[in-house]
Amino acid sequence: MILDLHNHSIKSDDGRARVENYCQWINKRELAIDGFVLTEHRQFDDASDYRKLEDESGLLILKGSEVETDYGHVLLFGVNEDLQHAFDFAAIDLELARVVRESERCGAVAVPCHPGRPNVGLCAHYEARGPVPGVSIVETFNGGSRQGEDEWALAVADQYGYRGVGGSDAHIVSHIGRSATRFEATIRNVDDLVGALRQGDFEALQCK
Amino acid sequence: MARLSFEEIELGDELPEVKPDVSMPRVREFCKAAGHYFSRFIDHEKAREQGLASAIVPGIMSQALLAAIIHGWGQDVTVESIDTVFRAPIPVDSHPLFRGVVTDVQPDARIAELDLTIVNDAGETRVMGTARVRFP
Amino acid sequence: MQVAGIKKEWVGLEFDTAEFEVTEADIVSFSRAVGETDPRFLDPAHPDFQAPPTFSSRFVSRRVLPEAFPHIGSRGFDAGKAVTCHGPVRAGHRLVAHSKIADVYEKTGRSGPMVFIVHRMDFTNQDGELLSTVDWRMVRQPDLK
Repeated sequence: MILDLHNHSIKSDDGRARVENYCQWINKRELAIDGFVLTEHRQFDDASDYRKLEDESGLLILKGSEVETDYGHVLLFGVNEDLQHAFDFAAIDLELARVVRESERCGAVAVPCHPGRPNVGLCAHYEARGPVPGVSIVETFNGGSRQGEDEWALAVADQYGYRGVGGSDAHIVSHIGRSATRFEATIRNVDDLVGALRQGDFEALQCK
Repeated sequence: MARLSFEEIELGDELPEVKPDVSMPRVREFCKAAGHYFSRFIDHEKAREQGLASAIVPGIMSQALLAAIIHGWGQDVTVESIDTVFRAPIPVDSHPLFRGVVTDVQPDARIAELDLTIVNDAGETRVMGTARVRFP
Repeated sequence: MQVAGIKKEWVGLEFDTAEFEVTEADIVSFSRAVGETDPRFLDPAHPDFQAPPTFSSRFVSRRVLPEAFPHIGSRGFDAGKAVTCHGPVRAGHRLVAHSKIADVYEKTGRSGPMVFIVHRMDFTNQDGELLSTVDWRMVRQPDLK
């Protein structure tokens, strides 16, 4: 099963895509993904319900978040009420160690994203300050990466034994599906996704 | 190239890719026309003094260039809205590629929605955005 | 940086008005400079001669930010513009631009921590018709220590 794990809709400040248009695009272009995760910036979109859209499009639509830490941005999968109370999703200076720890405690998974971004990504911070315990997965393929950034992410993942996932980081409709993650397991909901990420049976895909 | 009518477009259609002129003379022409005569746009050396790698194309110029491309694609269209996010500067005298693609078609309103991107030689997105275009 | 406080105090506050005349020559020179080929934007004799849709984004109000707006940093850049066209801008229009702060938020990105300030200009003509809305997203970054 192939899921694009990192995407933004109009709910994110710099997102310009409506979710129904993502679905329409995926189906019209016959992209090889079975669904996607909406990882809105600095929030968890409690309000939106995409079940009807899932039924209509035949795609799995899950919700996560992208938060901002002292080691760069982090994707959160399995966001629940406990995690939302554990720290302020809107803050731009969260401690990665705390985000990882609280995610683990609350049954979620924290995945540093676009870690290869110069100066601001996880890789740059690791170079300066060393690794953070508890990180086990990073985004090794990001659809918005520039030259060398995914390569750096892969190198650091290899160095520390991290598994890699892929996500498009789409902010506009036509950018969805640029990168994704293939799972061996069938995923029907967020719990399945968290379980699959924990199990480790997945690989990052570069689709662009 | 003939401009398209609403009946001729569909979701997924790509606009012709264009490499507009963003040379220094053209950028200076634009800045004069727009009253945007700032050194970071019209002088490579002065731009470097301001911490930039070179003079950069004004954001409003790249946006207007995208609108012109839309007008060259759709017959007598009206751009109802255009929204561009500047991810990285476009250097003056470079050769960025301007792209557009139809991401939604609304037959009742005769509206096409477009994704717009400007990429550099390495294919990296410098500007991304959307437009809502109404056909007559 | 108490962005929430800045947002609460400043968003929605109109802080400037400015007037701009729209001339045939300005429309034609702008259109030529951006490679317009549609005669609507190039030929003053065209029955539907008008300014291209992003023409109003060239106008800058007298103030970029309200007086007494908190100093956030000396570094910054233009993060993008959104133009909504409510009606055609034509030669002879006398546009009045009303400026307000539409939003303030903070985030981090490739260049580090940023505060986004959205400066909105609503352009009406001499008949009071709203023709264009331009949202200018400007970024201010804390001064480097």
